Amino acid sequence: MLTITEAAKKKILSVMESQGRTDDGLRLAVAGRRASSFQYSLGLVEAGQEAADDVVFDAGDFKVFMDPNSAPNLEGATIDYIEDIQGSGFKIDNPNSIWTDPQHIAVQELFDNRINPALAGHGGFVELLDIKDNVVYVRLGGGCQGCGMVDVTLRHGIEAMLKEEFPEIERVLDTTDHAAGANPYYQPAKG
Amino acid sequence: MSRLLLLLPTRTYRASDFMEAAARLGVEVVVGSERKQVLADVSPGQHLLLDFLNVQEATRAIVAFAETYPLDAIVSVDDDTIILGTMASQALSLPHNPVAAVLATRNKHRLRLIVAQAGLLSPPFSLFSIADDPAVVVRQVPFPCVVKPLCLSASRGVMRANDAEQFVRAFRRLRALLQTPDVASRDRELTRQILVEGFIPGTEVALEGLLVKGHLLTLALFDKPDPLDGPFFEETLYVTPSRLPATVQEVIVACTAKAAQALGLREGPVHAELRVNSQGAWLLEIAARSIGGLCSRTLRFGTGLSLEELILLHAMGADVGAYTRERQAAGVMMLPIPQGGILREVRGQEAAQGVPGIEELTITIALGQEVIPLPEGAQYLGFLFARAETPEQVEAALRQAHQHLTFRIEPLA
Repeated sequence: MLTITEAAKKKILSVMESQGRTDDGLRLAVAGRRASSFQYSLGLVEAGQEAADDVVFDAGDFKVFMDPNSAPNLEGATIDYIEDIQGSGFKIDNPNSIWTDPQHIAVQELFDNRINPALAGHGGFVELLDIKDNVVYVRLGGGCQGCGMVDVTLRHGIEAMLKEEFPEIERVLDTTDHAAGANPYYQPAKG
Repeated sequence: MSRLLLLLPTRTYRASDFMEAAARLGVEVVVGSERKQVLADVSPGQHLLLDFLNVQEATRAIVAFAETYPLDAIVSVDDDTIILGTMASQALSLPHNPVAAVLATRNKHRLRLIVAQAGLLSPPFSLFSIADDPAVVVRQVPFPCVVKPLCLSASRGVMRANDAEQFVRAFRRLRALLQTPDVASRDRELTRQILVEGFIPGTEVALEGLLVKGHLLTLALFDKPDPLDGPFFEETLYVTPSRLPATVQEVIVACTAKAAQALGLREGPVHAELRVNSQGAWLLEIAARSIGGLCSRTLRFGTGLSLEELILLHAMGADVGAYTRERQAAGVMMLPIPQGGILREVRGQEAAQGVPGIEELTITIALGQEVIPLPEGAQYLGFLFARAETPEQVEAALRQAHQHLTFRIEPLA
């Protein structure tokens, strides 16, 4: 289901060896969806610390663990490691569409084409996590994460636009960990 | 649907709680801010860009806006917008306090004069210019004394001096703070003066109230169990209900009501700080706004209404006289800032949140940002909230939870 190139395998094994963690596995997850593409997280997972419902892919020299939500979205993906004049890093080619449901696709397009370009003016962005029972679950990042005015952005901006475009949407639920925001655009202060 | 203008400075701690309150009440909100909201263009009629430093011009802008989008009420959430909210309400014939009354609450010297004239207990006080030489004016100062700015909030710039040497140092330190561009730009006149008043020993409390046609509804009386004796006055614990004897609480309420009356305040939230000793209740400050920071989260009324919902309901003309605070005790700890520097890590959050009675821990300074202690600091490090059967249990939970927290703050080079 996954393809891991020799260059990627070599790099992953080198990281494991340098950290003395050759018994560990690799955790690969879909961390978000932005600008019509998946965002990924990659990290080592200690042997025995994998979750019971993880989907496991045996790469030969190590195992790759994927949570059940991420796994279907990683089907057929190729992990490569690129080194060139511009820098180095893992590159994931993923043949899957970030959404299959028409409503999700339409909301994602609204985020990509209208909302996120505007939020970028404050160094922020919003990610669509899911839509269930006409409730849109989002996560905000960058300048929006921890911003003192984020509720104004959410209610008067994001929710207002969504309700205008999709009258069936009832509300937007913000799942952001705002306390972890490293660079909020508006930071509160005493008078 | 009613339409309400919420005057929200972009640096307020209160945006989330007021927006949430408005959503729960089904009120249409227009947000008035001094800087443009990032998605303002997508929702016309819901945002108003206002120059908070030019109150006359901002009032005209609100009146012009109301011609297209009629307003049913204007609510100022913080000190910075109270005068504008009052003037705009007056211009639109909406319920409001007299402008002179609100101006007096924004000038600690004027407040002192009115409180003293009203026959309330008042310490000796003097007003100085920042241009004065503290080594000279020290001869007019009683000791111990408190050196204060006229217009900053939450103990910012407030220092105690026990002798001439400490006074000179405190005066110079406050002068430097008042001359920083961020502070000086708030009010060119008020930031050029320094108030010095006699230190009042005693127990400190805070009263949260709502004025309805001149009558004071006491929403909550908070004890402040940590001593506030200086040299700086960093507020930490607020616990309600008060454990003071009922007769003392009555004196506190009466003093607050008399001060509000003397000032001419008649409508909307009031937050008062008082000291109590053997002579009675001394009003330190009274502001025509609700409690600051995130502290309002300690309060619930009736079937679970927030303080912000109560304020909005009152502003929209609803009768809120029947709402009383919940039976349970509640409290907040404004997390003390252990030292200045860059906040790198906060450890023990899970353990702190696991203490029975703790409802919420919110760190309000982002990792990597500078932490500045009082008297110069303008930001809270964070807030711990607790709820329990008794005020003693609330205080114990807050103290225990705080002991779990460790802040790694890297000193500035």
